Amino acid sequence: MQALGFILRRVLLLVVVLFAVSVLTFAIVNVLPGDVATAVLGDMATPDQVLAVRKTLGLDQPLAERYLRWLLGVLQGDFGRSLQHGQPIGPILMGRLGNSAILGLITLAIAAPLAVALGVMAALKPGGVLDRVIGGIAVGAYALPEYVIGLFGILAFSIWWPVLPGSSLMDPNENPLARPEALILPIGVLITGMLAFISQVTRASMIQVMGSAYIRTAVLKGVPRWRVVMKHAMPNLLPPTIAEIGMYFGYVIGGLVVVETLFSYAGLGQLVTNAVSYRDVPVIQAVVLIVAAAYGIGNLLADVAALLMNPRLRS
Amino acid sequence: MSGVALPAHRRIVLPRLGVADLAGAAIVLGMVMLILAGASLSPYSATAFNPMHSLEAPSLAFPFGTDEFGRDVFSRVLAGARPTLLLAVGAAALGVALGTVTGLTAGYRQGPVDETIMRFMDALMSFPGLILAMLVVVMLGPAPINVVAAIALVFWPRSARLVRSIVVDLAHREFIEAARSRGERASFILFRELLPNVLPIIVVDFSLRVTSGVLLAASLAYLGIGVTPPTPAWGLMVRDGQQFIEIAPWLVVFPCLAIALASIGTVLLGERLRHRLALPGGGRAQ
Repeated sequence: MQALGFILRRVLLLVVVLFAVSVLTFAIVNVLPGDVATAVLGDMATPDQVLAVRKTLGLDQPLAERYLRWLLGVLQGDFGRSLQHGQPIGPILMGRLGNSAILGLITLAIAAPLAVALGVMAALKPGGVLDRVIGGIAVGAYALPEYVIGLFGILAFSIWWPVLPGSSLMDPNENPLARPEALILPIGVLITGMLAFISQVTRASMIQVMGSAYIRTAVLKGVPRWRVVMKHAMPNLLPPTIAEIGMYFGYVIGGLVVVETLFSYAGLGQLVTNAVSYRDVPVIQAVVLIVAAAYGIGNLLADVAALLMNPRLRS
Repeated sequence: MSGVALPAHRRIVLPRLGVADLAGAAIVLGMVMLILAGASLSPYSATAFNPMHSLEAPSLAFPFGTDEFGRDVFSRVLAGARPTLLLAVGAAALGVALGTVTGLTAGYRQGPVDETIMRFMDALMSFPGLILAMLVVVMLGPAPINVVAAIALVFWPRSARLVRSIVVDLAHREFIEAARSRGERASFILFRELLPNVLPIIVVDFSLRVTSGVLLAASLAYLGIGVTPPTPAWGLMVRDGQQFIEIAPWLVVFPCLAIALASIGTVLLGERLRHRLALPGGGRAQ
């Protein structure tokens, strides 16, 4: 029952956060110095053009009224129209969201267990060779932007030794899973970035767990090492680690934007960078909102998963 | 200040690397000298076109090759150090300063002031960093100062949360009680009593933010946000060079190496600083 109450409170909090995010997004777009119409048209626009764009975007109406209309529209799946294509944004958004989710979820499914395994291995002998190798690679992966790792990947695997496509260019409505080989490099880059962080976080928690009294008791009792790690340490290691992976979603999303742009993968990230170069403000606003919502929901799911794994909180 | 617990998500423990710490200091020092020396080290102009030497491979005359307009990639990479590092340092300084003042105030005043400030910080933190910075720069327009403001906005709530988490504990200690009963003004307590106690954490936080700043600024530039050609920004050079990757890989390889060197240098130096000040944890701002 306690758990149900926690989840309920957590969902309520998410609703509050999403509301705040919608207000902030709207505020950044509409209140910051720099008018939307000028952002759309550029500095060279004539006053007449600015006036015309202001009218099409409804900028001549009061701020609060515009926000409410926008919010009501968004709640019904109506995100307005793209300035670049003139089409409603909602349908474009949904297809792109699916494509990004495919990339992000595959990454998470591979990277999370792999990173935890690496972190545990490194923690078993802190300062050992394996720990130093994993730690060294982690520093490198942590310090490099995704596109640097990605471009070296393209050079290595699609130009010097051409085994993988260097671009995932596709029709936005095409199923990305139809060409799995085009997903290998982008997912590889995202995994590298995630491994660095999660493996080091896991390592730190694992060292702490392995130093606790109950683990020492198990070792002294003569419990086999693998059993100590898998049955005794793991249950205490996983909940905090999963919560940390949740905190890390924001970084994965940033990585997705860059990786999608690098590989021309038709996801939300590529949509938003395209929108930026066309100054398509309604699209940018919509993507930011969706991304922040996905981030919030990801955090929530990680918290709930961590909770369900902790028997003390579950009862 | 050891024993102060940082929020769990900010913890990333990297093994000690010994020589690598020195390497970090050497790289950063090298870049600072590069910035001070300015254009005098560059053999050619970073922006002037030279169609006679378009897309030439690295040679003695052009150690990093030339781009499609015949500009020397070596000179452009050197010139790119200044904007990248100044942006990162500026954004880190502004973000950490804002975060410190906010965190001190929220942690010391507590109650409704604290609640209001921290809920606003939470809202800012519910945007992924890159997305927030992107939105702000697009709305403010492409200029270095706007990139600094946008990245500082990403750092602000994260620093504020860190500083507040420490000040909340300190606020109940005797020396603060004493200052209050002496009748000191709030500004005295905040900046003369509390600030010195969080300073080591702020210094480490700042160094980590510089690394994040390098990465964020380079990612924004790569996405074509905040800088416009022909500015020799590393990220922008990679973006423009990518179309020639098959025939002229040097156009992306050298700017990529420069970014890698800059961020690894700042990471290693930050880690060294953290060990020196004996603080647990660190973290990446996202």
